[in-house]
Amino acid sequence: MGNISLAVDIGGTFTDVVLIDGDSSFVEKTLTTPHDLLEGFFRGVDGVLSKAGIEPADVSDRIVHATTTVTNALIERRGAKSAMIFTDGFADILRIRREDRFDIYDTQIEAPAPIIDQTFTVDERVFADGTVGKAPESAEIEALAAALVDHGIQSVGVCFLHSYINPDNEREVAERLRALLPDLQVSISSEVSPQIREYVRASTTAVNAYAVPVTKPYLDGLERRLADQGFAPRPLMVLSSGGLVAVETAARFPVRMIESGPAAGALATAFFAKSLGASEVLGFDMGGTTAKVCLIQNYEPLVAAEFEVDRAYQLKEGSGFPVNVPTVDLIEIGAGGGSIADVNDMGLLKVGPRSAGASPGPACYAKGGTNATVTDAAVHLGLLDPNNFLGGEMRLDAEAASNALASVGDKLGMGSYAVARGVYDIVCEAMAGAVRTHAAERGVDYRGVPLLAFGGSGPVYACQVAELLHSSRVIYPPLASVFSAFGAIVTPVRFDLAQSALMRLGQMDWSLVDELLDHIESESRKALAIAGVRDTDVELKFSADMRYYGQHYEVPVTFPERPSPSTSLRDLFEEELQKRHSVLQTQLDVEVVNWRIAASGPTSKGPAFAHAGDPLGSEKRRKVHAWGGHEVKVVPRRSLSEGMRLKGPLLIEERETTLVISPGWTVQAGPLGCVVAEREE
Amino acid sequence: MNPLEVEQYWTSLRSLVSERAKVMQRSAFAAVVREAGDLAYAVFDAQGRMVAQAETGTPGHVNCLEACGKYLIKKFAGNIREGDILITNDPWLGAGHYFDITILAPVFRNGKIIAYLGSTNHHADIGGLGMSSVAIDVHQEGLSIPPMKLVEAGKPNEVLYDIIRANVRVPDVVVGDLAAQISSAVSGGVAINEMCDRHGLEDIEELSSDIIRRSEDAMRAAIRACPAGSWTSRCEFELTAEKSIHLDLRLTIDNVNGEVELDFTGSSEQLNIGVNVVENYARAYATFAVRSCLSPDLPNNSGSLRPIKFFAPPGSVINCIYPAPVASRHVVGMYVPMPILDALYNAVPDRVLANGPGCPSTAVVSGRDGDGKPYNIFFTVAGGMGARSSKPGMNATNYPTGVRSTPIEMLEREAPIVFTRKELRHGSGGSGRQLGGDGQVVEFRVRGDRPWLLSAQCTALHNPPRGLDGGEPGELSRFSINGIPANPQFQQQMSSTDLVRVETAGGAGLGMAVPAK
Repeated sequence: MGNISLAVDIGGTFTDVVLIDGDSSFVEKTLTTPHDLLEGFFRGVDGVLSKAGIEPADVSDRIVHATTTVTNALIERRGAKSAMIFTDGFADILRIRREDRFDIYDTQIEAPAPIIDQTFTVDERVFADGTVGKAPESAEIEALAAALVDHGIQSVGVCFLHSYINPDNEREVAERLRALLPDLQVSISSEVSPQIREYVRASTTAVNAYAVPVTKPYLDGLERRLADQGFAPRPLMVLSSGGLVAVETAARFPVRMIESGPAAGALATAFFAKSLGASEVLGFDMGGTTAKVCLIQNYEPLVAAEFEVDRAYQLKEGSGFPVNVPTVDLIEIGAGGGSIADVNDMGLLKVGPRSAGASPGPACYAKGGTNATVTDAAVHLGLLDPNNFLGGEMRLDAEAASNALASVGDKLGMGSYAVARGVYDIVCEAMAGAVRTHAAERGVDYRGVPLLAFGGSGPVYACQVAELLHSSRVIYPPLASVFSAFGAIVTPVRFDLAQSALMRLGQMDWSLVDELLDHIESESRKALAIAGVRDTDVELKFSADMRYYGQHYEVPVTFPERPSPSTSLRDLFEEELQKRHSVLQTQLDVEVVNWRIAASGPTSKGPAFAHAGDPLGSEKRRKVHAWGGHEVKVVPRRSLSEGMRLKGPLLIEERETTLVISPGWTVQAGPLGCVVAEREE
Repeated sequence: MNPLEVEQYWTSLRSLVSERAKVMQRSAFAAVVREAGDLAYAVFDAQGRMVAQAETGTPGHVNCLEACGKYLIKKFAGNIREGDILITNDPWLGAGHYFDITILAPVFRNGKIIAYLGSTNHHADIGGLGMSSVAIDVHQEGLSIPPMKLVEAGKPNEVLYDIIRANVRVPDVVVGDLAAQISSAVSGGVAINEMCDRHGLEDIEELSSDIIRRSEDAMRAAIRACPAGSWTSRCEFELTAEKSIHLDLRLTIDNVNGEVELDFTGSSEQLNIGVNVVENYARAYATFAVRSCLSPDLPNNSGSLRPIKFFAPPGSVINCIYPAPVASRHVVGMYVPMPILDALYNAVPDRVLANGPGCPSTAVVSGRDGDGKPYNIFFTVAGGMGARSSKPGMNATNYPTGVRSTPIEMLEREAPIVFTRKELRHGSGGSGRQLGGDGQVVEFRVRGDRPWLLSAQCTALHNPPRGLDGGEPGELSRFSINGIPANPQFQQQMSSTDLVRVETAGGAGLGMAVPAK
């Protein structure tokens, strides 16, 4: 028996399972079971095991899991009774937020209710230089413990001022509370996210504290049931950063698992980037309500330092809770198959962000929706086959799509085909525009970077989005329907940590830096050790967040080795600025705000994919209105065999999606089961 | 160009503008730029009409750039070459005080100007008395840069650079922020050319005309949807313990032509302290208030602004005449929306909010630390926001500005200041059918044994934010030193043992409170 691995990705709608046995892979897709996520988990696992014809005990390599558990707990607000403990005089940090308005024009905006509203304070103080102004007194901690019991609190977050530089007071309170109340879950900000800026650190700690009592039993249950069924490997969890850790670590820091599933999708994108030798790739995933783009740089997903959870007011940026844990940097665009196209106040055709969702869904679903959507436009243009949607399981009503588009056309004085083509163009432009903005902010040159298209709708739009981004290559990977689960299985064990220590380059305290790096290095080595990585296999990557002294936004700077007095910090920082089109200010001192470590174990090998090469039946053609009104050739993806070349315009159909190959593009059935489209110059 | 093409190119132009503005904001040094987005970035067409603007920024800058860009394009018409950069910080042409420097660059395509890109940024310093209202005329407030070329055909105007460097306290930072403005304008020009290449466009005239016409039509339609009428309102507030002023407004909705007229006749006259507002800046806040109630989703451009008519008598505090001092014009300017909201309550009660304390309270703390090194920090403290007809006002939230507070941990890193309290001031929001938002209580002192300087400014110490439709006013602000009520002053001497306490006003309530059963 070779190396057998298993990955399970629980998303909002589906639970996807992938099993890799040497060079073969098996997949299973089942509905997510929100009342008990593990029910769907094990149903999917049973399914894939029987397809592969193996027993639980045969799974020898690893079991990896990405889950939406934490997100669900936050959005549905079904965490346990929790409280926050702050420094005396600062009980309202989570209620005051940042004092700004996330939309200055909208007079009706609302702040979300704090995720934890119950607060207590302790008379203690650490100053900005790390000196202790006042240590907490035991009598006060005892009184606090009694109050927590009175209020029935099961989990607390502790966030004291300046604990990122001196955690002593937080640790003291945590230790005493744990001793007094053994059942209490305690999250302290200096462990969850030791970074300067009290509101964001408190928000991160609160989210963590709130999620611990939900996550821990879930993970315990997972581990127990796996063991009961005879699986030998202990499960590993996918973090938002794309990191992979043991359940113990994940249970302590559930705030790091919020974007578990999307991170796994980015990991899969990175896997194909590496396998195909493309150091930079734009992963382009489009589903029913949104499109997501991730940037692969140097074969790895770009990771952002901050992320926002549960945007409450019209999903607007700024209306959720900030958490500053590393998270795969995804551009999210409110344009998916269900996005509604309509005429706005200015008489222009607007697509999204309003969505018809899955119910009633696009007009062509014939489930009562009358709004014209992006999917209706694709059906009307002939890009999607109404009789072959989801492999023919769901029949689409082309006439309903046509009627919906015609009624939008009436408002514009245009025909339904022109409107449908307009929807297609506008969606592509919105996505390309979002990528340009996002990439420029991060100093990434998107021009010429290949796209990797997946999700139900990504492959339908990828060629045109690529053209708008000056790119001439689109890759369509296999296993697109269980892409995230696949990503989880091929990624190395990894853990990232950060620690604030503000320091100007003119006045570096290298002994303090060494001490901090030693600390976070040993913490990350520990996390890898429990996940079963041998210490000699640990690879460390160092980086820092830096800025000119006086600026308030940092840019991430990566170092070729562990930073030391001989590292040219300033040059590396300014190189990064140049990439971001920022102006160099050579007259100013540079400051480090946070130090970061990413520790990873060895990579595991992916399976060998191949094209099915089924015989091609009688030639199929369909009238397509996207590029005039021509008959366009349609081939099933399963009929491709490696090396085969076909010229666009062309439609390649799979069960879940259709690859739309524009005129001027040629496709080739490439390595690893990928279809690669290239634009002729 | 059909509506589908227009939307496609328009999406592209907007994303380009917001991308360049974000890059510029992130690199800024001036606290108000980086935390509040106190900047504007816009594209003008060849005729000088502002067509698209970045979705960042505070209301004050947003519309001032439109007027300033238009002026510069007209003034230098026929005299602009490739590689030129225009500049001015004239308060009457730009955003109302010397701190705001406007930069404008032409965009050439095939030897022809097809657009201009410009920005107005608040700079860290501009010489003179600094950020205060103590000047008696504008010349005490710092360096004046008349409309001129900062860069000529790619060659920097070294004389002007030397003058700027010699007249500001932090020359490296000011020149650095100017460089960021120039770079964002120039790179934006490259991006516009790329956009034209992508879509096979010669220029952006047709796109611009179409967008401006559609924006204007939509704005007029939004006004036509309101009931016609004419309403008056008055907002009274103090500037010092002795000096209160008022803004008088007659707001008229002409729903035949689709225009809103704002007539501030009767408002207080300009003063000999630096809180006077130039017409541009007052109009900016006025149009902001109208647009945010009637058409928050429309783009901000020459078209959507045109149907809003603004008038304030020359010589009044919101249309001051040279050489009036203007450095702290935001203190008065941020009250301009208040009478407008009160008057609009008669027409669109569901979309307005009740009054809040206008400008946030601010403090500058400066001195020398234990090692003798100078420090100087600035921070703002929000009061409560006024109630809305169907929901309460937000606690500790600024309105109309969008300023974000600086984290306490950051302030304490940069200076030996220590905050001992920063919490909500519970119950300070006005009661009513809907409650006003609560203000805050903030206390701070300075570590060490050296004396320090405090320049504090608090709004609503004497005139509370007024309730709407029977709602109660918010609680007055309070300011005290060592527990004794005091008047905030400019550069007040403080001792190492002093404890300062600021309580910001609550927002006003809306509607009569429903009596408890």
